[in-house]
Amino acid sequence: MKKVESTLENIRDDIKKFYDYKVWHFITMNGVALDGERFEVQWIFSRYEAMDESVIYYTVTEYDKIIPSIEDIIPSSIISQREVVDMFGVKIDGSEAGLYLDADSLQMPLRGCGL
Amino acid sequence: MKKTIHIPLGSQHISLLEPVKFKFECENEKIIGVDSDVGFVHRGVERACTTKFKFDGVGYVVARVCGLCAITHSMTYTASIEKMLQTQIPLKAKYLRMLLLELDRIHSHMLCLSHVSENAGFEAIFMRIMGDRELIMEIQELITGNRVQFDFISIGGVNRDISSEHIKKVKEALKVVRSKVDGYIDEFTNNWSLSLKYKNIGVLSLDDAYRFNAIGPLARASGLKIDVRNEIDYLPYSEIGFEMQTSTGGDIHARNVVRLNEIVNSIQMCENILDALPEGEIQTKVKGKPDGEVLVRYEAPRGELAYYVKGGGKPMLDRVRIKTPTFASIPSFSHIFMGSQYADAPAILASFDPCLSCTAK
Repeated sequence: MKKVESTLENIRDDIKKFYDYKVWHFITMNGVALDGERFEVQWIFSRYEAMDESVIYYTVTEYDKIIPSIEDIIPSSIISQREVVDMFGVKIDGSEAGLYLDADSLQMPLRGCGL
Repeated sequence: MKKTIHIPLGSQHISLLEPVKFKFECENEKIIGVDSDVGFVHRGVERACTTKFKFDGVGYVVARVCGLCAITHSMTYTASIEKMLQTQIPLKAKYLRMLLLELDRIHSHMLCLSHVSENAGFEAIFMRIMGDRELIMEIQELITGNRVQFDFISIGGVNRDISSEHIKKVKEALKVVRSKVDGYIDEFTNNWSLSLKYKNIGVLSLDDAYRFNAIGPLARASGLKIDVRNEIDYLPYSEIGFEMQTSTGGDIHARNVVRLNEIVNSIQMCENILDALPEGEIQTKVKGKPDGEVLVRYEAPRGELAYYVKGGGKPMLDRVRIKTPTFASIPSFSHIFMGSQYADAPAILASFDPCLSCTAK
C-alpha cells in the first residue's frame, strides 16, 4: 500500500493526472479522525489485475474546510463522498448530506471517533 | 417540455426483502432519472468497532454486518489484523477458510438466481433453487455449528477442524448440488422466460463498467476482468483451481450466466480443497497489538469488499473502514436504470443481487 500526500488545493489535479480509468480501480473515499479538529481524507485505488497493488492519496485537513469533489473525474466517487459527508459532518462540493443518516440520527458519528 | 412522473421503487418492495428506495423519474415507461436512498437500517458498526470492542473481538462484530456473507467480513477483517501483526497462519486454516468462503459464495449466488427467477414469474424454479440451497446451508452448519453466523474464523486461524466423516458428507452434498446446477444452467440458458426475456435488459457496457468502477458479477458480466481472488496472495487460490468467470453481454442474462459458472467453479474448488486438505494445526498463537494501517481486499459474492484498519498499538483500534460491494455499486445501478423501462426495474434490481444489510452497515 503506497501513500501519496496531497493538499486540498492540489488533490483534484493530482488525481486527474494519476487516474487512468482502465488501469486504476477507485475503491472508495475514506476519513480517519486525527484529533478533535483535524482528519485525514483518503482516496483509495487499486490497479486492475495486479497483485495487491493499491495507492492511497491523502490530505490532512480541518473539519470546517470544504473538500473538493472528484465526481467529474470519477463518477462513482459520489456515493462515498456522500458517506464521508454524513459520517464526519464535513462539506464536500456538490455532495448532499442525508444519504445514510436521517435528521434524528446521531450526527457525524465518526468525528473524533477512535481517539 | 415533456411531462414526467415520479415512481418510487421501495423502500419496501416485493422484488427485494431489504429496505432500499429508488425514486425514478419516468417519461411514459422510460426511466430518465434515478435517485437512491440506502440508509434505512444504518447500525453504526464502524463506530462500534473502535469504541465498544477490542481488536480481537471485532472479527465477530463485523460478521454481523451481513447474514449472507458473514464469513467474508470476518475473514477480511481478520486478514487485516494478521497482516498488521505479520502473522503467518497454518496452511490448513487457509484451506478451511477458502472452503467456507466458497460455500458462502455458492449459496449467495443461488439466492440471487432464485430471486431473478421469481421476478420472471418463474416461481417453480425459485422454490427449487431455494430448496437446493438448503444443502449448502446444512454443510455450513455441519462444519461450523451454525447456519448463518458462523464465528468460524478467528485471528490466527479457524475455530473448528473438520473430521473425515464430515469431509465425506460435504463431498456427497456437493455432488448433489453440482447435478442440480446442471439443471439450472439448462433452464437459464434454454427456457425463454429466463434467457430471451433477460437478454439486452439492464445492460452495462464494458466501458461503463470501467467508468463506474463496477465490481463483482456485475462487472464480469460486462467483460471487466476484476476478481479480487486473482489479486491477493494471502489465500492460495491458484492452488485450488480458481478460474475467473466473465461474459460479454452485460445484461441480466449475462449476470445469471456468470453466477452459474461461478457456482460450478466454487464447487470444483471446494472439492479440490477437501481432496488436498493439508495436515496440521488450525490455529497459530498471535502476539502483540495492531500498530499501523493496512488495506485488505477480498472478493465477496457481490464483489470487492475492502477493509482499511488503523491501529495505534492499543487494544482498541483507531479506525475500521468497511467498503461493501453493494454500496460501491450504486452509481453503476443508477446508470443501468437510466433508459430502461420501469416494468423491468424490479428484475434489473434483483440481478444486481444487492445487499442492504452490508450497505447500511
